[in-house]
Amino acid sequence: MTYPLGWSVITQTVVRRERWPGGQRVKAIPLVQPGQEVLPDQPVLRFARELQQEALQSAARLSLPSAGTGTNVKEMPSGASNAAETIPAGLHGQVVSITPRGGVVIESRAAVVQGTLGAGNQVAGILTIWPGPGRMQHPIPAAAILVVPGPLNFTLLRQAASSGVAGIVASSISLRDLEGFLRTDLIQLIDTENAEQAQMRLPPFTLLLTEGLGGAAMPARILNLLSQYQGAIVLLSGATSTRQRIFPELIISLPINETQDWHPLQADPSPTLGALVRVCSGEQEGTTGTIDYLFAYEQTFKSGIRARAVRLRLEDNSLLVVPLTLIERIG
Amino acid sequence: MSTQPHSEEEQGRRNSSPANQATSLLVADCGAVFTKVSLFGLVEGQYRLMARGEAPTTTTPPHEDITVGIIQAINVIEFITGRHFVEDKRIISPEQSTGDGVDVFIATISAGGPLQLAVMGSVSPALENLASQSISGLYAQAQTVPSPTFVAAITPAAVPVGAGPTGAGVAWTPERIALEWERQSGRIRELHPHAALIVGMADAPAGPTPLQEACQLLINAARERNEQRNGSSQDSAAQCSVIYAGAPQYVEAVRRMLNGVADVTRVDPLISQAQLGPISMAVGALYERNVIQHIPGYERLHSWSGSAPVATATSLSSLVRFLAQHYAMNVTAVDIGGATTTVMLAGEQGEFIPMVNTEVGVASNVGPVLQKVGWRRIARWLPFDTSEEEIRQFVLNRIRHPHALPTSPRELQISHAFAREAIALTLEEAKKNSMDWPDSDLILATGGILAHAPKYGQVAMTLLDALQPRGVTSMVLDKTMLVSQLGAVATVAPITAVQVNENDAVTHRLGTCVVPFGNVEPGQLAVRVGVEYSNGRQLTVDVMGGTIEVIPLRLNEQALLTLFPAPTVDVGLGPGERARAAEEIDGGLVGLIIDARGRPLVLPSDETERQARLLQWSQALGI
Repeated sequence: MTYPLGWSVITQTVVRRERWPGGQRVKAIPLVQPGQEVLPDQPVLRFARELQQEALQSAARLSLPSAGTGTNVKEMPSGASNAAETIPAGLHGQVVSITPRGGVVIESRAAVVQGTLGAGNQVAGILTIWPGPGRMQHPIPAAAILVVPGPLNFTLLRQAASSGVAGIVASSISLRDLEGFLRTDLIQLIDTENAEQAQMRLPPFTLLLTEGLGGAAMPARILNLLSQYQGAIVLLSGATSTRQRIFPELIISLPINETQDWHPLQADPSPTLGALVRVCSGEQEGTTGTIDYLFAYEQTFKSGIRARAVRLRLEDNSLLVVPLTLIERIG
Repeated sequence: MSTQPHSEEEQGRRNSSPANQATSLLVADCGAVFTKVSLFGLVEGQYRLMARGEAPTTTTPPHEDITVGIIQAINVIEFITGRHFVEDKRIISPEQSTGDGVDVFIATISAGGPLQLAVMGSVSPALENLASQSISGLYAQAQTVPSPTFVAAITPAAVPVGAGPTGAGVAWTPERIALEWERQSGRIRELHPHAALIVGMADAPAGPTPLQEACQLLINAARERNEQRNGSSQDSAAQCSVIYAGAPQYVEAVRRMLNGVADVTRVDPLISQAQLGPISMAVGALYERNVIQHIPGYERLHSWSGSAPVATATSLSSLVRFLAQHYAMNVTAVDIGGATTTVMLAGEQGEFIPMVNTEVGVASNVGPVLQKVGWRRIARWLPFDTSEEEIRQFVLNRIRHPHALPTSPRELQISHAFAREAIALTLEEAKKNSMDWPDSDLILATGGILAHAPKYGQVAMTLLDALQPRGVTSMVLDKTMLVSQLGAVATVAPITAVQVNENDAVTHRLGTCVVPFGNVEPGQLAVRVGVEYSNGRQLTVDVMGGTIEVIPLRLNEQALLTLFPAPTVDVGLGPGERARAAEEIDGGLVGLIIDARGRPLVLPSDETERQARLLQWSQALGI
């Protein structure tokens, strides 16, 4: 099961996350206390001064430019004197605890998009939809979290990284391009026992892929959700470790008006009739559909393997029979 | 040869009485990737497998409860049988008059990962090897962390130790020893072991000091952990487990030093193979306590059963040894799972060589297979062109989706290529522990990738390629994936285990296999095979070097076999020596296989020729 929260997208849930920009050798000074309400652009951490340089080298572009409450973060110069010293919350919610290393744990009512693959430390930034080459009407804000609806490539990644973007949410990329950009062996990276340490060796850039490797486009339901919150300050983490069961995620704290009369969604991962699912492996990887029929007996597949199976009705109304273990529920 | 403990047998004795009268049993085997549940019941006075179900193991989020996967697998059995076994997340027990419920529930577990064991003290290469042998039959990984003064004592001062911080190649000054302390402390931090095994005698090169230093390293690590966790060095909640197998006169001193830091279990000092059994038992107990009991949902699982869940490898080893003694033959068992690959050899004289390789598997641990052997060793088993990128994509997909089944023939062949290498790697490890690896009379194969293989020939070919047996052997596939559960069943219901084993577990006989070895020349006659069927029909087949032939001999057919090897070729009795079976051999689902490809098996270096050979061999086995 790829998605620890059950589905790939959960529009209403309660999350608790430690705000920690990555790196293990630094000690941070929390600027808030348990019980305190924080806003997404509110600084919640400051690095100890003697370790600051080391921290920032290992996790560059990890924070928004420092901003006070109500300040338009887009207007703050990225090189402001105290820009690198503090780390914004990235979430709207309540501080519930401080970890021994100084990380701030925040509880927030949020929408969560979970990726299948990613890389890079936790960063906060302004969610910005990329309309395509040459179509951007405004300059990309510094430390933006850029949403690229289509597949990425090496050149696009390089351009984004050099333009000051903090992170990218995209659908997919080829293995070769991703490894070329990260300059690492992806198998070793995601098969690691220590995801946080592994991220320290990567370029200072955070990436979340909703579909994974290949050339698949971003599903409309994810793009629609992200478009809805364009301009919001969000929290993105790219770290992926199959051994530690860590997967990339984008957390969008819900605006106050959306949290009134609010109930968290319980994501039921069981494959029931009518459930929206995604094929997670094989020739049909990335295909989505609804469960149309649950076979009572094992079915035989092209390889000759027999397995319990489901029939999916795809978006174009065609039918597809896949093994039960090849699907993961997404809604 | 080492002898492994029967720790589960002791448990069994504690719980033996009611299960012997049981008319129905549910047995769950919780693997790292899949959970298999089998229902055993009485049919015409014999215990039989009545139904089985399978579902993904659910120890990780979003479920994070091992019993969820078990219940899902039981639901499959409920569907098949129309009976109910679960109510309000509890097993209905005993069996009701309606047929619902079961009398006994038993679980075996390989989920949860291995026990990480730090071997500390005066860890000489000999002791390191013994420590490794002692855990070879368990889900455990040993890492050596020798004490700084021991390293100083055995490393000549003028010789560089390596590229690390100690590799200065200078005298062992206090500063260099301090650096070694730092290095070993870093190792402990990095390994974060569940337990430590302290070894070394007082007459070791550095005397008893390394024992004291091992304790000090553990104390320092505990202090660091507690400080990180609570910001206080006073907290001693996180206790480590230590097995002390060092100089006996210092055991009390070690206990005093580790008081409040670690619980110390004393075993006989590790100096020879005689101590492997007790150490193995102690490590096995720690695995149950520090790994199995921490699996999410363990408490509920334990509440379902009268006995504690048993490690699957321990259960399998019991059955393999039983089969070897019962049938008076050398039995090699292969169990290939998603995270672990096991190869065990049990001999008719009581020999036992287990190797549980917790580093390689065909799903979540397929990455380390690629890392160890490289993509070309995987690609060599594929009868089509491939690329490093395709193999790496496959691995990335498998480690992210360990439950995925190969739906295309290409994926299936890549999966089987990885299975071959995982088995071969494990066999290599096993042979390191034993100078003498006897030829097997019976190869027993289990594990999802083999049990689910669409064709029996695919299983036979995988085993022949990976194990490369010699002489005459039989191959049996445990298609129902029962054998690794039956050892645990035998501890509480021995009659059930024996009857299910014979009736259902080892019934998929692939066939007898003849593997001539020695100087087998490609294209030259390797062996002439004379077959005299039970009905009197006779057949003679010449098998050429570099080929595989299958002679028809179906399941339930028998034949007398005579082998006439070429002068330089051996079939087990020496080069050129004719062999005639004293008893009829049994047929199988594949037939009588003559594998004259030579040993060691060498694949053609030319790509086109290699692919052509693989296709020929596959066709011969009906793949």
